[in-house]
Amino acid sequence: MAGLAAPESIVVPDKNLENAGISVVVDEVVQVDTAQKQVRTAGGKTFPYDKLFLATGSRAFIPPIEGSSLNGVFALRGLPDAVNIKAFLAEQSPRNIVLVGAGFISMEVASLLVAQNPGVYNVTVVEFLDRPLPLMLDADMAGPVREYLESKGIRLLTGRAVEKIVESDGRASGVQLKDGEEIPADMVFINVGVRPNVELAEAMGLEMGKLGIKVNEYQETSDPDILAGGDCVEKMNFITGKPDAGRLRGPAVMQGRLAAKRLAGYDIKFPGVVNAGGCQMFDMVVASTGLTEEAAAREGFETVCAAVDSRSKHGMIPGVTPWRIKLVFDKKTQKLIGGQIVSHAIAPAREIDAVTAFILGGKTIPELTTFTSACNPDISSEPSMEPITIAAEQALDKLR
Amino acid sequence: MQKGDRLIVVGCSGAGGPAAMRAKKLMPEVDVTVIRKEKEFIVR
Repeated sequence: MAGLAAPESIVVPDKNLENAGISVVVDEVVQVDTAQKQVRTAGGKTFPYDKLFLATGSRAFIPPIEGSSLNGVFALRGLPDAVNIKAFLAEQSPRNIVLVGAGFISMEVASLLVAQNPGVYNVTVVEFLDRPLPLMLDADMAGPVREYLESKGIRLLTGRAVEKIVESDGRASGVQLKDGEEIPADMVFINVGVRPNVELAEAMGLEMGKLGIKVNEYQETSDPDILAGGDCVEKMNFITGKPDAGRLRGPAVMQGRLAAKRLAGYDIKFPGVVNAGGCQMFDMVVASTGLTEEAAAREGFETVCAAVDSRSKHGMIPGVTPWRIKLVFDKKTQKLIGGQIVSHAIAPAREIDAVTAFILGGKTIPELTTFTSACNPDISSEPSMEPITIAAEQALDKLR
Repeated sequence: MQKGDRLIVVGCSGAGGPAAMRAKKLMPEVDVTVIRKEKEFIVR
């Protein structure tokens, strides 16, 4: 979407697979005969298998609102979507653009549109919940994000629901909200999540969960010769132990590799997902992992939280920028269960990976008070301002 | 899996591609085939 990468550079190149000795067939699998252990494609070909791995992915979810199929309404999921969107922008020259949903895809697209075309588009984001990036950030962390995006010219309408997309001459001309307000829109993006592609698995008779194909910790389905991974499977949340969609690229890649290792005889279990993710809007980077304070409360955790401001470099180094981290701990076990970062530089946002590692390692408040990061004036805050340590100390103080 | 066995991977984005590549690396004697309907598939 940003035009920073050529289309061929953001797809899995067939050459990579073929050079490794893997056969690539571009065709759609329409049937799997699990008794005969063979797959049949739309092109009429049949392929026998000893083991099968399903990675059928997911598709954008378009809610059943009136007008969602009009010309000028888009979802961004794959490369063809990005190509269509860029063509529409170039050929139709829309001026009023509305994005439905304030998740990371919407926010990145909104900021790209404004950053690359200053003064050209009127960009409005409509979100049903009360803040931008509501699954990533608590309200206290999302507040500064809202202020920043609004200062850049993005109109954010939160706590508002879409009634319908208004039609004029067969194409989108506006978005009507349930409270009656109508926002002019000659282009509409709907980015409100995805749904797993499980029709093939259902037809095969595989056991299904509520959120996708049921698999065990080894990616094995209810059929001993069939494994599955990625967006099409139901995952387990590492923290809650409950089913989780976890439809992010990171777990998909790891589940694919894990399934291969299982087939090769390894005994390695998938630990569950923590839903670590990030996005960039202008020069602001947001990253999160685990549970927000709000989500933790919803899951029944009593939490202890701390938010700390830090610096991207030592204070005397030119170019220092502020960043903020919030950590969420389970009060009962004192274990770290979530983290959020809002930064004006990319490097500090990578600290979210340390937070993820601490969650997976079961680290507690006392243990994190002794955490020391690699220290260099150009790449990190001063040790005295290491925010994970300070946040843990603040949480420790709250427990006294 | 054993020498000469056939592994079919359906789909080739986040999970399918890595599964196929890792499987072939760990089990070069296994016949690995990827079948995907998309002409190309975006990787984010």
